Amino acid sequence: MQTLTPTSIKIIDYYDDGLNARHYRFQLLDKHSISAPTPGQFFMLHVPGVGAAPFTFTAPPDGDGVFRALVRRMGSVTQGLFSCQNGAIVGMRGPYGKGWPLQQFAGKRLLLIAGGCGLAPLSNLIDQLSASDTRPQMALIYGAATTAAQVLNPERQRWREQMPVYDVVEDKPINGLMGNALDVLDHVLGEQGFPDMLALCGPETMMRLIASDFVERGLDASAIMLSVERRMHCAVGSCGHCYIEHEYACKQGPTYSWDQYQALVYTSPSDQQLSYHC
Amino acid sequence: MATAQMDIYQLDDPQLLATYLAQSMQVHSLADPLLDDKQSRPPISSAKDFFFQEKENLFVFDGECFRETLPTPSPVALFGVHSCDLTAIAYQDQFFADDPYYQARRQQALLVGIDCNTPCDYGFCYAVNAGPGVDLEYADIILHRLNHQQWLLVVSSEKGRLAISGFDVTPADSAALRQREQHIDHCEQQFGDFSELHRAIEAINNEQLADSFWEPMGLQCLSCSGCTTLCPTCSCYGTRDVHNNDGQITEQRFWDSCLFEGFQREASQHNPSLTAGSRVRRFWTHKFNQHTADQFNRYGCVGCGRCEQTCPGVIGVHSVMKRAALHANTDAN
Repeated sequence: MQTLTPTSIKIIDYYDDGLNARHYRFQLLDKHSISAPTPGQFFMLHVPGVGAAPFTFTAPPDGDGVFRALVRRMGSVTQGLFSCQNGAIVGMRGPYGKGWPLQQFAGKRLLLIAGGCGLAPLSNLIDQLSASDTRPQMALIYGAATTAAQVLNPERQRWREQMPVYDVVEDKPINGLMGNALDVLDHVLGEQGFPDMLALCGPETMMRLIASDFVERGLDASAIMLSVERRMHCAVGSCGHCYIEHEYACKQGPTYSWDQYQALVYTSPSDQQLSYHC
Repeated sequence: MATAQMDIYQLDDPQLLATYLAQSMQVHSLADPLLDDKQSRPPISSAKDFFFQEKENLFVFDGECFRETLPTPSPVALFGVHSCDLTAIAYQDQFFADDPYYQARRQQALLVGIDCNTPCDYGFCYAVNAGPGVDLEYADIILHRLNHQQWLLVVSSEKGRLAISGFDVTPADSAALRQREQHIDHCEQQFGDFSELHRAIEAINNEQLADSFWEPMGLQCLSCSGCTTLCPTCSCYGTRDVHNNDGQITEQRFWDSCLFEGFQREASQHNPSLTAGSRVRRFWTHKFNQHTADQFNRYGCVGCGRCEQTCPGVIGVHSVMKRAALHANTDAN
């Protein structure tokens, strides 16, 4: 049987990391209460009295049951969390969903592209791949609206020592680059060469545009992976909120290949030509 | 499909059975078998709420721990459940197979089905393999009216056998079973022509229906949730936290509707189903798409027609499928 009942976690601490965003450390009160997540899987965070919402693990539970998550204040659940003091007890359930295909990434040239808070589901992926024997050759493009909105600042600083990291924002040039991730693709591909695979996470429109751009450049749709965001209440495939046609993002997703996603997402017979230019 | 083992009995009055069952369990009547003209009409509310409750407490938080609050229902008999609704229960049994709250309620229930001898006003169960006769696998006991004075009692499960053990009934002969088959055959023949419905299902699955087909229907949808509330297979829910008087917090789930504008809206305001037309389209494709049919061995619609009965915007199943069939025809020409 499934359980919809969370396990208790304590808020250890947090630091501000981007506009209205905090990087939290949580402690499982019972460190054996959940199984080990793979990068790209998520958990439901329950703020008692307010509600629950899905978040990714930026770092999975360590031996002491301490894990991390990046949270941006957006709605009532995150507002509720931001109002909690360090030491407060909240709840979590998980891990849920399908993570990134680590095996497929092994030894490849992997380009990671994130937008905004979409960097969070890539964080643990980058760290795990970096530590693996079959480490892919990675590069990261991280687009944000402004420099103030950039998240995971200490992590990007750390990754810069291991791999090329291209930061791009819309309000000022960084190393001569400005705009969004799409605007800098030619430049990045010129420096890094063409990738074997892509890992995308960010606003759905951004992922659609980038994926179709790469297909036009000749990348196979099955080599493009993306992680989608949906509203969720249960995360076990029964509340219905995260539907993508006949599938539920919480179970069959949130990680899809671009060909899977395209086969799934409905495009009206009348708007097929417009669907990737939204 | 394997035929379930069954015992058959004659019965003068179904009320005798209800009274007998009431000695050991609560009995909820969903149909009054004695009222002849209403016999074939399922009630406006299906049996859905008995298992997938409109409001269900999931857990409580006492400030430190979260504790699951599983229901502990007493044994209950749902008496006089029609074939469409029993088919829906079988569908939800699969959908909620791992849901502890649903299963706790479901396992305490005895299902006493009733065959329909005439089609009801809005129903088309026969078109979607959900009636009019009760499938032996979907009920524990089945009532069938043989004539004004006599009923056939079919006991089709171990749970049913246990429930009537000690009940004073006379075994029926196989002629009564044949009569049941004839009645059901006769009822099936009274249904209208389903070719329009089949064309519509085909059009939905072939993605022949453009946004321009669905968007006007979005205008007709008042987001009242009448269809999703009454639909016996609809199962979407939301959750909310309730502050109790004792300082504890209860998380509750409640029926939600995919036709509400905010159903998929995320905290960022991104909404994957922004237009009313896209939500109407999703509702109907969810009921009739082949992927769901493959997963559950049947469509998500059991042909009860309640959505048609309740929809103030006239976009219930008959209206929508008729328009879809017409659209597909026009397209083909």
